[in-house]
Amino acid sequence: MKINRRDCLRLGAAAGAGALLTGCSQAVRRFATPALPETLELPSDNVEPITRLVNRVSFGPPPGEITRVAALGRDSYVEEQLHPGSGEPLAVSARLRGLEAFEVGAGEVGDLRKEEILRQMQMAAIIYAVYSPHQLRERMVDFWTNHFNIFAHKGAGAFLKPTDELKVIRAHALGKFPDLLRASAHSPAMLSYLDNQVSRRGIPNENYARELMELHTLGVHGGYTQRDVQEVARCFTGWTVEEGFLKPRGRFRFDPDLHDDGPKEVLGQTIPGGLGKGQGDRVLEILARHPSTARFIASKLCRYFLGDAAESWIERTAQTYLQTDGDIRAMLRPILLSQELLDSPPIMKRPFDFMVSALRALNADTDGGKPLQEHLTRMGQPLYQWPMPDGYPDRTAAWTGSLLARWNFGLALLSGGIAGTSTDITAILRAARAQTGARRADALAEVVLARRADSEAMQPLCRSLRAYMERMPASADGSHPLLNETAALALASPLFQWR
Amino acid sequence: METRTGIKGRGDWWSCDGRGFARPETKRETEPRDACETVSLLTPTRRQVLLGAALALVGWAAKDSTALADLTITPGKPAERADILVVIFLRGGADGLNIVIPYREDDYHRSRQNIGIAAPDDRRAAAADRAIDLDGFYGMHPAMAPLRPLYEQGLLAFVHACGSGDQTRSHFEAMATMERGLPDEKTGLASGWVARYLSQTENGNPSPLRAVSFSSVMPDSLRGATDATALTSLSEFRLVLPSGGGSEREAALRAALESLYREGKDAVALAGRETLAVLETLNRIDPANYRPANGATYPDGELGNGMRQVACLIKGRVGLEVACLERGGWDTHVAQGSSGGWLASNLDEVSRSLAAFAADMGAEMSRISVVVMTEFGRRLVENGGLGTDHGRASVMWLLGGGIAGGKVYARWPTLKREQLEEGLDLRVTTDYRDVLAEIVARRLLHSRAAAIFPNYTPRMLGVAKDRA
Repeated sequence: MKINRRDCLRLGAAAGAGALLTGCSQAVRRFATPALPETLELPSDNVEPITRLVNRVSFGPPPGEITRVAALGRDSYVEEQLHPGSGEPLAVSARLRGLEAFEVGAGEVGDLRKEEILRQMQMAAIIYAVYSPHQLRERMVDFWTNHFNIFAHKGAGAFLKPTDELKVIRAHALGKFPDLLRASAHSPAMLSYLDNQVSRRGIPNENYARELMELHTLGVHGGYTQRDVQEVARCFTGWTVEEGFLKPRGRFRFDPDLHDDGPKEVLGQTIPGGLGKGQGDRVLEILARHPSTARFIASKLCRYFLGDAAESWIERTAQTYLQTDGDIRAMLRPILLSQELLDSPPIMKRPFDFMVSALRALNADTDGGKPLQEHLTRMGQPLYQWPMPDGYPDRTAAWTGSLLARWNFGLALLSGGIAGTSTDITAILRAARAQTGARRADALAEVVLARRADSEAMQPLCRSLRAYMERMPASADGSHPLLNETAALALASPLFQWR
Repeated sequence: METRTGIKGRGDWWSCDGRGFARPETKRETEPRDACETVSLLTPTRRQVLLGAALALVGWAAKDSTALADLTITPGKPAERADILVVIFLRGGADGLNIVIPYREDDYHRSRQNIGIAAPDDRRAAAADRAIDLDGFYGMHPAMAPLRPLYEQGLLAFVHACGSGDQTRSHFEAMATMERGLPDEKTGLASGWVARYLSQTENGNPSPLRAVSFSSVMPDSLRGATDATALTSLSEFRLVLPSGGGSEREAALRAALESLYREGKDAVALAGRETLAVLETLNRIDPANYRPANGATYPDGELGNGMRQVACLIKGRVGLEVACLERGGWDTHVAQGSSGGWLASNLDEVSRSLAAFAADMGAEMSRISVVVMTEFGRRLVENGGLGTDHGRASVMWLLGGGIAGGKVYARWPTLKREQLEEGLDLRVTTDYRDVLAEIVARRLLHSRAAAIFPNYTPRMLGVAKDRA
């Protein structure tokens, strides 16, 4: 049996330091849960548009966020979110500590078990989404992770995906689309997922070539033919993954021996022979500059932030793409500042959005661990585990079957039934100055929905919650036995499923 | 072998009914009067809209007066005697040429030197690696051996060189085409074909389990059906109470959820009411203790578990009319294997699932139609990764007492190069809608097929027998 560096560390930890390290990290984590603000009272007017904006830009407002954004103003908030710094607060960094899958290169991750890598990757995604102040970047990470979907259970996917998530998705989430596309095309995780690592001269594999055009760039009606698929597949022969003995396994490698270097014709353009790897690079340039790509990316961005967006918004965003060489920020800014975003019909949260928004709304303390991830699986969206290359669906109709699992998640969360994740409703009600009496149900609704209890849309919800609490009397000390379940019902409400 | 005595306490629950559709005790909401704009398919006028659209689209069929006459605006023929429809979608593009092998074609063996399946009489291969002869020209993959008795009894049929007009060879376009029941990817109707079938069958069945999809996300075939439910496990479909909760607490929580979901008119509110009604029904049939009959053993996989639960719902008499299941893993670009390997293990699970289901259902198979379909087949010539790329035609499987089985139906185009589509792929010579429409017409709903597959006059192949 070979013992490597990581095993040594593990053995060392197990031999004594383990308890200390674990205890220590738990203390840091607790300390790192964001403090509740002084007051949870929502501004007296104009709450709805701010809540809508925050719900669309971010995974949902934590306590105090609506007040903060109201003071900051819409423009400054969007600018802040478009330009995240590189640093992360302790709430994120302390929790990410020890997630090896995110700290080492692709070859190294080979020492970890597949399930462990997947566990750590999901932990990291949840921790970033719940605690990072750079919420727009996190939403774009979610967007691009699905756009360039990779199924971690296929082949070596789990071992290669962490590097893809860091070097492709996170690195370019708010950058330029052509850079993101190039990075993805050089990503061993993608080449392996879509079988390009076995594509070679004479017998090319079409899988990557097809999805590259259909799903990553042009869109299915973007104007390519079956002939283009075959030609692009030939261009990418030899783009493979290093597997050689004593080589940096799992890195990108171009193998000229596997490459078909003859001339090709792609989308009406001639790619001369003899360019070697340059042929694939040339294809990526053609695709990145193509008007169909501009339109396809624009329509997906509009749908993500505006729902069923008006055609004029797609057209406008596609123009921005073409004028700015695919600058993602430049496309997003007008979308996020639009009246359309405030007026358009609500968009249903996918399970990941729902879970993260719930954890944020209740200022939960979570390690993002396996017990939490299992709820995500039951709701139908285990991360990195959608087998098809199109990513998790964004249609409302696809997710209406997940309601029961959402209700059960809320009940488990509020009853302390998810190990590694906890909430403190008493502290929230204290901050909301609603520790006793009938206002408690309203206060819980306000905290969860970030909308004023006296607004019209909130009336049915508040009535139901009040009625539920009235089933039992308050305890002698003023506390109430049904507070947690009432909060769970607020999470289960129809209103909380929309953003 | 499991018998009735194996069940504690509720020994005869599955045979208790026989009175037709179970009616939930709670009153179900009638359809709302208006709905959120984002979900126009779920509006109260959904049925009228669909029917209107269908009528508009069948305008072309005016020359066929019977087709038009069948389309009355008021739906309403009761369908108690319709077969229960089970649709299994193999996602990823299943390789029809290695499922039902045209073993007499030399071009087949020449094109697939590594992954091809040996002919039934090919002495160079071990018997277990050879195709199972079906009719002297076609043979089944050896992993499908569990289906052999069903084929011989005439319960199982295949339709080969079958597919849609979708030319994109895109999984998503091809799936959407088939699940929406369209000729190709470019045309209109956004609703699913199964949803249209349900909306055409206003039979007063109030069951929340009228249409069930065993999947975490709702498939496109059920898009637009407000009475469809997606779930992955019947026995796990329950409210999980915080520790110490009893039935009283569960009832209180359920009542609270009912009050939360009572008023909404959007897609979520509708789905919430549906979910609560399903909870109510499943409480009664206790799926966790389901025991298959006749010694049937379902394989322990996605599809095996799904079919087991379909059987449970049918025997529980909860008003199930349509079940949709799916199984992924057919996109065999690399290392698809031959008589063994990736494709073989997929086929093994599907075959054992179907065989177990048929055994479990016994005589009830006479009123069940199972359709197995996939979005497209795969390239004739194997690729460098010992797999196959996206192709065109594949094979559909049909199982049930009403199927004219023991036969492979095909207008075989041959595998000669000039007969292949774009010189590469098995040509589609039978439209998948011919098969679905015949099942609908003969086993489900007589003459409404025209509204379910608008703009299309199906060619009856004779794959199904008329319902007695």
